[in-house]
Amino acid sequence: MSNESSGIGLGSDDAEMKRGPLGRWVNKAIKNPDRAYRSMFYVATVFFLVTTLFPFYWLLVIALTPNRLISNMGLLPKGFNPEVFITMFERVPFHLYMFNSFVLGITTTVIVLLLASLAGYVFGRLRFPGKSFLMLGILAISYFPPAAFLIPLFELFTGNTAISIGFITVSSPDLFNTPAPMVFPFSALFLPLSIFILTTFYGQIPDGLEDAARVEGTTRLGALFRVIVPLSAPGVATAGVLTFIAVYNEFFFSFLMNNGEASSWAPIVAGILKYQGQFDTPYNLMAAASIVGVLPVAILVIIAQERIVSGLTAGALKE
Amino acid sequence: MGDVKLEHVSKHYDDVTAVDDMNLDINDGEFICLVGPSGCGKSTTMEMIAGLTIPSEGKVFIGDREVTNLPPKDRGVAMVFQNIALFPHMDVYDNISFGLRLRNYDKEEIERRVNRAADVVQLEGMLERMPDEMSGGQRQRVAIARAIVRNPGVFLMDEPLANLDAKLRVHMRTELQRLHKELDTTIIYVTHDQAEAMTMSDRIAVIDSGQLQQIDPPLVCYNEPANLFVAGFIGSPSMNFLDGEVTEDGFVSQNIDVEFDPANLGVEVGRDVTLGIRPEDVYLIEDEHLVTNPSHEIDAMTDVLEPMGDEIFVYLKLEEDAETHLDEDAVATNDQLLMSVAPDTDIEEDKDVSVLLDRSKVHLFDTETGKAISHGIESGIQASEPTGTEAESDD
Amino acid sequence: MATEQQSGEALSESRRSGPYASAVNWMEALSETQFAYLLLTPALILLGVIALYPLATTFSMSLFADQLTGSARLGEFVGLQNYIDLITGARDFALPSAFLPTFTTQFPFVTDIYSSALMVTLIFTVFSVLFETLIGFGQALILDQDFRGRRWVRVAIIIPWAVPIVIQGMIWYLMFQPNIGFLVGTTDNPALLNQLGFIGTTPLRDTADSLFLIIVADVWKTSAFMALLILAGMQSIDRSLYDVAKVAGASRWQQFKLITFPLILPTVLVAMLFRTIDAMRVYGIIETMAGCQTVPSLSCLVVTTFNAPLYGTSATVAFITAGIIGIVVSVYIVNFASEGI
Repeated sequence: MSNESSGIGLGSDDAEMKRGPLGRWVNKAIKNPDRAYRSMFYVATVFFLVTTLFPFYWLLVIALTPNRLISNMGLLPKGFNPEVFITMFERVPFHLYMFNSFVLGITTTVIVLLLASLAGYVFGRLRFPGKSFLMLGILAISYFPPAAFLIPLFELFTGNTAISIGFITVSSPDLFNTPAPMVFPFSALFLPLSIFILTTFYGQIPDGLEDAARVEGTTRLGALFRVIVPLSAPGVATAGVLTFIAVYNEFFFSFLMNNGEASSWAPIVAGILKYQGQFDTPYNLMAAASIVGVLPVAILVIIAQERIVSGLTAGALKE
Repeated sequence: MGDVKLEHVSKHYDDVTAVDDMNLDINDGEFICLVGPSGCGKSTTMEMIAGLTIPSEGKVFIGDREVTNLPPKDRGVAMVFQNIALFPHMDVYDNISFGLRLRNYDKEEIERRVNRAADVVQLEGMLERMPDEMSGGQRQRVAIARAIVRNPGVFLMDEPLANLDAKLRVHMRTELQRLHKELDTTIIYVTHDQAEAMTMSDRIAVIDSGQLQQIDPPLVCYNEPANLFVAGFIGSPSMNFLDGEVTEDGFVSQNIDVEFDPANLGVEVGRDVTLGIRPEDVYLIEDEHLVTNPSHEIDAMTDVLEPMGDEIFVYLKLEEDAETHLDEDAVATNDQLLMSVAPDTDIEEDKDVSVLLDRSKVHLFDTETGKAISHGIESGIQASEPTGTEAESDD
Repeated sequence: MATEQQSGEALSESRRSGPYASAVNWMEALSETQFAYLLLTPALILLGVIALYPLATTFSMSLFADQLTGSARLGEFVGLQNYIDLITGARDFALPSAFLPTFTTQFPFVTDIYSSALMVTLIFTVFSVLFETLIGFGQALILDQDFRGRRWVRVAIIIPWAVPIVIQGMIWYLMFQPNIGFLVGTTDNPALLNQLGFIGTTPLRDTADSLFLIIVADVWKTSAFMALLILAGMQSIDRSLYDVAKVAGASRWQQFKLITFPLILPTVLVAMLFRTIDAMRVYGIIETMAGCQTVPSLSCLVVTTFNAPLYGTSATVAFITAGIIGIVVSVYIVNFASEGI
């Protein structure tokens, strides 16, 4: 006790030495809070990087380890087996599933961009009765769970819905195992987001430009596609990227609206699940297929990250 | 080809009437300014001529065709916009040739016309630039070139100079007049700046609250305004207004009386009238020799002086404790008078002075309806009745 | 000049014929309202056929009994009986998993929480949205800073959001399948997570463990979405407000508390609303990681009863799910309104 009281007399140098490196650091941090914030910032950044990226690393570890050696894995692969990225295509035609996913994604994106461009123009630039009601209605539809659409859509696309026109009753065409039962639900599901993004972008184009185009000789639609859409290219790109990613990632209809065969336009959902449930469980192939399946969207995110950020802002927050 | 006619045209938005029963008759080759304060309906009128807005009632004619419900592309008009409205994703050449390309002109024809239009507005050598690489004045020239390249029957200009700086604006005014002389096409020009309208146009259409107030050549609007609104709107600074009454001896108000014989002007005694006098028609007593038809002396006190270089504006207080209103609103103030004198006049603030009015330049208006009764009160040019809509068509 | 103009106009006039041209002219002559509805028609038809019609049909199916034998899809009209049976638990015997938990008189008054589709969904929703908001907020705070390599940190944080659900499921399946890796041990050789009692040795077969892991997997993927929305909100805050605060002597914490947080709150609530709606419909990650038998969410119950096939029940569960989402949305909106947002 006396020691402590005399310690004050000895000066702060001594006290600092006693506290050791951590104590010194704390002391400095208190004197200079910016330092503490910087350290916290770096710790948090590293923490988030590790937690978001570790699962991908784990996929790589599993993929590179020969399947028979996969048990009690540590942080490093046991062995190095890059042939897995060839074997995975031999076991399941994963490239065909990816091709299907691309076709579904691109077709849906084209449909959504076209319809959302027209609707975005209407909501962003025209004044007419019923506007806010329609916008709310479109928003409300996106609140319903896909499950609430499942049964009737399944019936509709398997040809079990009778459509009566006057005295003639025809059953809906059997489109199961074609792209249609997925493309149309995807389009309806992801249309609202694109409408809201494009409404915001189209609404920001000055009226003068549209007027100028019309006086120069375009029709109203001509002004939309020659002037407003090209000028909103960033918004259109955003809506397109988000729609494509959403379709590529979708599970519900992708899983339920086909028989799981690549020849029936089943997307990667079925491809990934196809590895399971045979005579063995090829963990390494599953991991490899997952890596290959993530690559397209990962590349898209790297290229288009700015667009994605601005699009989510515009689409989700402006309501 | 280029005459434009509006017949009883109105435009209502929900419960707002933007344009109210507008009649306009514009001759081929004429330079007409639609002028009025913001929100008066002049831009809506122009949009209805362009086809960007469809009238709620009435008919629009261009040339001998009725175009009321035609889309803009089929009207043979070209337009220059206030915000210039160049397509930012196209270079100058593509901007100018936009309308020609839409009409499928062949390549050489487009090139010939674009080059000639660029020549007229002095844009040679800039055809490959993008709009954001150009100055405001250059962009405005591109917009004009885009408009003239199609040889439209009618040119519509919606405050095309409003976004330019003051110096460039004056320069572009002259250019537009030169252009009009060269092209000889009808130009309908919307502006809120009466000075712009005065300097450029063949006739001015003054619009307020959606209604046409007067359409006449600039000097007629200036010298013989049809009503209080036109009198106050045209001319800067604004005309002085004094509220008063007609008596046997002439005009009587709080501070100023101007004698005339009411019988000569055909006004009944006892009517409430507003007297209008422009600042340049108020004189110091020393300058009485300049006035052919002076009123009697008026005692006043100088308040604020505004030397403008070529003249001095003098705010006169007619009462001891009058407050000076420096705004330009056309309201009768009664206790204040604005006078303009020559720059070499020996005058100081806060001094007693005597002034007089040029009676041949005094305007009388009916206070209630605002309609002009007389311009000048001695020989008395009686105001034509009714003014504006039907009574014009002079040149 | 006048002649030239005439020839130009005549040229275009002559091209204006044929069905295409008359369609164009017809469209140009429409009023603004007519034109608006014309352009909306394709979108409205799509939404009508793919969304409104199925919703109406689903609702009407939910008013009919299940048909277990024969060729007919549905049994007789039963009105709201399906809803009553589900809500009172009278239908549970026929379902792959119960709708409600069993209520008891003793604390905590419910048992069998994990076999109740409703409870599983609610637990998933509350915990995933809560942690996604907190972690997303943290990530947004980091991404809002200016530092070298920010672009790549941002990519790293966003990427999980772009991972297809089936691959997300596969990743976490491969991490928590027993015997594969160090995260799950055996009874003889328990791993750290086992020792701490977070999960058992066969986590993907156990409802509670699976639910926990599915929440973690969802937080991993979806925090990025929250982070992006919150980041967007943060970047729309006027930077000069911070300068004002600094001049006034506010510390960083005070700046956060007095400027960032209140200005970002509406954004966060809207983002939480979107996430909640999404979380209430969870299905894919369950199907790929643990299966609907292990973790029966509401959407799982729709699909399993649909496959049973108990069409009437399936439609009823689907509509009750929509109703519950509707209630949650209204709760949010009422709260927004009361906070004056």
